[in-house]
Amino acid sequence: MENVVETRKLTKAYGDFVAVNELDMEVKRGEIFGFLGPNGAGKTTTILMLMGLSVPTKGTAIVAGHDIVEESREVRTVASVLPEYSSLYGDLTAWENLDYIGKLNDQPKEERENRVAEMLDIVGMSKWADSKLESFSRGMKQRVGIASALMKNPQIMFLDEPTIGLDPVATKEVRELVLKLNREKGLTVVLTSHLLHEVQVTCSKIGIINRGKLILLESMENLNRIMSGGEDRRVEFILTDTPTDLIKDLEGIKGVKSVTQENNGLYVYGSVDSDLEVSKTIVSHGAYILMMKPREHTLEEIFMKYYDQEVAG
Amino acid sequence: MAGTMTVASKELRDQFGSRRFLILFGLIVVLGGLSAYQGVDFIRNNVGSSFVYIFSGARMSFSFIQIMVFFGPILGLALGFDAVNKERINGTLSMVLGQPIYRDSVINGKFIAGAVALTTLAFSTIAIMCGITIPMLGFAPTLEEALKIVALTLLTTVYLLLWLSLGILYSTVFKKTSTSILFSIATWMTFSIVLSILAAALSSALVPLPAGDFIGTPVAPAVPAAPDDQVRPNFQGGQRFTVSPEYMEAMQERQALQTAIQNLSPTQLYQITASAILGVSSFGFGRQEFARTATLPEALANNWANIAVLAVVMVVAFAASYMAFLRIEIRPGD
Repeated sequence: MENVVETRKLTKAYGDFVAVNELDMEVKRGEIFGFLGPNGAGKTTTILMLMGLSVPTKGTAIVAGHDIVEESREVRTVASVLPEYSSLYGDLTAWENLDYIGKLNDQPKEERENRVAEMLDIVGMSKWADSKLESFSRGMKQRVGIASALMKNPQIMFLDEPTIGLDPVATKEVRELVLKLNREKGLTVVLTSHLLHEVQVTCSKIGIINRGKLILLESMENLNRIMSGGEDRRVEFILTDTPTDLIKDLEGIKGVKSVTQENNGLYVYGSVDSDLEVSKTIVSHGAYILMMKPREHTLEEIFMKYYDQEVAG
Repeated sequence: MAGTMTVASKELRDQFGSRRFLILFGLIVVLGGLSAYQGVDFIRNNVGSSFVYIFSGARMSFSFIQIMVFFGPILGLALGFDAVNKERINGTLSMVLGQPIYRDSVINGKFIAGAVALTTLAFSTIAIMCGITIPMLGFAPTLEEALKIVALTLLTTVYLLLWLSLGILYSTVFKKTSTSILFSIATWMTFSIVLSILAAALSSALVPLPAGDFIGTPVAPAVPAAPDDQVRPNFQGGQRFTVSPEYMEAMQERQALQTAIQNLSPTQLYQITASAILGVSSFGFGRQEFARTATLPEALANNWANIAVLAVVMVVAFAASYMAFLRIEIRPGD
């Protein structure tokens, strides 16, 4: 699949402070790319460079086939950004804000008006088209923000913390909107968020950046394999009771690394191959299995693992 | 160009809809109207006076020129001081620059909008003043007077745009609006008030007057012993004294130095040039003297350097803000 974003040794330094350090990454067309990292890791700086708004100190990047330095205006024709905080005019109505963006994109009047109406409809804000943005809740502003980013019909959209400060309902709405745009319009999305659960359920690829350096770039498919398989797999059993010697016998099974008991649950760490033998052993001890649930690693655990490794050097 | 005009039309709409602009516009129109009314009074009492004296007001009062000298900087700076940094603070600058427009479209658009607003203000104020006075006087300006009015309007526009450019420069250089407004106020006070005081103090310090020469030889009032321009009443009044040539020379040197320092101020240059165009000498708020009426070409020829300085300062200030804007580094949070 074609790369929509491709960076090579992309670097940005502010004086002695290196915000982004030799970043190499690729985002393929149609992907929803989760760009993760702690505050100040370099996520927003990377987005600003990819939008042609900030000139890299070193390295190159191509966005939708355009060089971000040499063809920054062309980049801004096909890419749009929704910054961390609403960046629209509070004293203008939702319609006026979108209309202004349409004008800046040189869209003819009729096309522009149709597009404004369509975008407001997509984000569910048609009813408030003539209300001023300053009267909107944060969730409503964010929805208009997404509509504004869609005005130019972009190939790729950068969403910088789109759900920050939103309540759970608004967060879910934004998430569903992003998924819908990706699914129905084939929009490539680069998304930064601190809500790792949101990223986990939305993104198809993850990049983790810390102190300007990319420390992990992996598809969600591979991450899920890491999260659910291999030596690190953990299975939770809820049993009718825990007979004597059960834990000792389970620990003796090939492939089982350890067994712990917490509250009503029995947690077995080991490989997938040992599942059948573990079940048989439990039953042979006269206990019934009420529930068996492989417990996957969360993205948070993976993030923290890589983050801790990076911090430890 | 499409980007420039889009930004300009949005900014212009903001300007015309802003309370800040409307209040200042209203104030200028009201003061201009009052000034014109006093001008009418003067013209009625001095038969044969030129129509352009409606801009000069009456003696011991205020005129259009003085209104502009005082309020012009406030108008220009008020329209420009937060043009760029407000957008950075609100995060809208990165949104606008994130569109496929050339970066200079934004700064050009903002300047064009401010320029159109101020030009409208200057032209409409002068038009309103003329509109009020023509029916009251019962006659219209002659062609020569009309040309003088046009020249005054253009000069006023350049003068206002100079302050607009300075305001935009501050808003580009300083990230906070509080800093740019402080610099704007400081600039206005420096050129409107401080420089005059400084000029007087510096010229006094640098050109001392000969000691004791002011109290010269008493002169009999009936037969002056010296030409009129060398005879001055003392502060107690009544008795007249001759002034020594050395004293006069020092006084002239001091005056020349003071004028040279004051001419560093755009307000002073505007005042001198506008007064010359109207054929009136103006010595500050409420003090005017009508001079020999010069023709418009004469006035322009004598003051072309002042006009050029005002235009150059305006262009340099805008060029500096243009360069500074192109170099703005968009950072997270902008």
